[in-house]
Amino acid sequence: MTRDILQEKILTILVQDFEFQQPGLDDNLRDVHGFDSIDAIELLGKIEIMLGCSLTREEKEKAMEIRTINDILDYLEKIQQGRVR
Amino acid sequence: MKRRVVITACSAITPIGYGQTNIVDSLQQGRSGVKPLRDDGLLTGHIHSRVFGTVDYPIAYEFTRSHRKTMGPVAFYACQVAKDVLIASGLSQEFITSGRLGVAFGSTHGSPTVQREIYKTFFNNLEEKFSSIGAVDYLRSMVHTTAVNITRMFGITGRVIATSTACTTSSQAIGFGYEMVKYGMQDAMLCGGADEYDTTTVAVFDNLLACSVDYNQTPERTPRPFDKKRDGLVVGEGGGAVLLEEYEAAKRRGAPILAEVIGFACNNNGGDLILPNLQGITSTLHLALQDAAINPTDVDYISAHATATKMGDIIESQAIAAVYGNGPHVTGLKSYTGHTMGTCGVIELIMTLYMMAEGFLAPTLNLEEVDPRCAMLRHTPGLMEAKTTIASVQNFAFGGVNTCLLIKNGREAV
Repeated sequence: MTRDILQEKILTILVQDFEFQQPGLDDNLRDVHGFDSIDAIELLGKIEIMLGCSLTREEKEKAMEIRTINDILDYLEKIQQGRVR
Repeated sequence: MKRRVVITACSAITPIGYGQTNIVDSLQQGRSGVKPLRDDGLLTGHIHSRVFGTVDYPIAYEFTRSHRKTMGPVAFYACQVAKDVLIASGLSQEFITSGRLGVAFGSTHGSPTVQREIYKTFFNNLEEKFSSIGAVDYLRSMVHTTAVNITRMFGITGRVIATSTACTTSSQAIGFGYEMVKYGMQDAMLCGGADEYDTTTVAVFDNLLACSVDYNQTPERTPRPFDKKRDGLVVGEGGGAVLLEEYEAAKRRGAPILAEVIGFACNNNGGDLILPNLQGITSTLHLALQDAAINPTDVDYISAHATATKMGDIIESQAIAAVYGNGPHVTGLKSYTGHTMGTCGVIELIMTLYMMAEGFLAPTLNLEEVDPRCAMLRHTPGLMEAKTTIASVQNFAFGGVNTCLLIKNGREAV
């Protein structure tokens, strides 16, 4: 998936499932949207369904460094590249 | 240290209404909350009992997503009544978060609706649903989900007691909360219970031949506690909460004293997990009177457990007769709501508080011809004016757990 498609899908999830109001790509997820560690785990589950594959433990732990939507998109692109290789 | 404990706020969501006005109206109009069992697409077709004590009116929840995300349906009931109670109490946010307020709250299963969704993932095509079990499913379904969603939502930092003893869940919560305050471990306790719409509970009792099956076409005519034609219990849903406070503190801050909890007992039959036990129940009633240091003649109203099972009502009648003779009026309040399981104790306590406050007693609904084996009691003959001073709220659970709460009218307690 291209970054644009990933962005569209992630924004849809964040708005529909996490009730984000007007998400900005560089908003701090915790400070601006109250997104906490439980939400992060929940989002990873939705990402697995979106990508159609399971994430490894290492990949999931790496996701805990994410702070913004742009970070999520960077993270997803790396995951995709890893899968292609 | 022994301190007096009073009830200063309460709220209930029940099959016969939400809040005092609606519940009192249903009690005075003889309105049942028992409705046809909804089709759940899973068990309903196999269940013989097709009735349920149903909360079928909309409730305007205003919980944010950050709170909702860890809540199953049972926690919605629990948090809503807890919110009502805290608002009504007027307690300061400083006190609520001080550690001097604790929570004693429970449910029968946690959330069976959420558990069912988890099992669906297992039993459907696992390969395609590898991520369907959400990170918060445990928080939504765990057995202490009601208690800790309440602490989370309101920032309560005191003790947490999460009772889960089927039909005595919330009466135990109130009793244990009473002891926390009485003996100085906490200054106030938010106590109660909740249970959500759940057909697995109906299926379990149906298999045990304990559910009502003869009134599927006329749900409002069952359950029929103490009636000759009773044929079993009707499972129900709801939630209820009370705030217990130390008397002197409540009086100082001018809180309304709805009632005083003057006695509590909880014991176990010490054997069979299902059959009602005359000795165990009788002992509970005696122990509560001892705890309150009052005589049986001081009690003028009994909210009986009275599930309308054939054996349970007879054993309870024998226990009441042995302890009280035919002195107090007796009502089986489940005749209005069905058996709301983990929440029945607190709901029946709150109904009793409302009747005390408004000076009336409601009769057992559907009690048309008293079973001769239950006829030695003084059944509340019909809707009647009554000035109740002391009431007993009795509940008995699978597992052989028995509870009895004794409460004194708030006007008398002051």
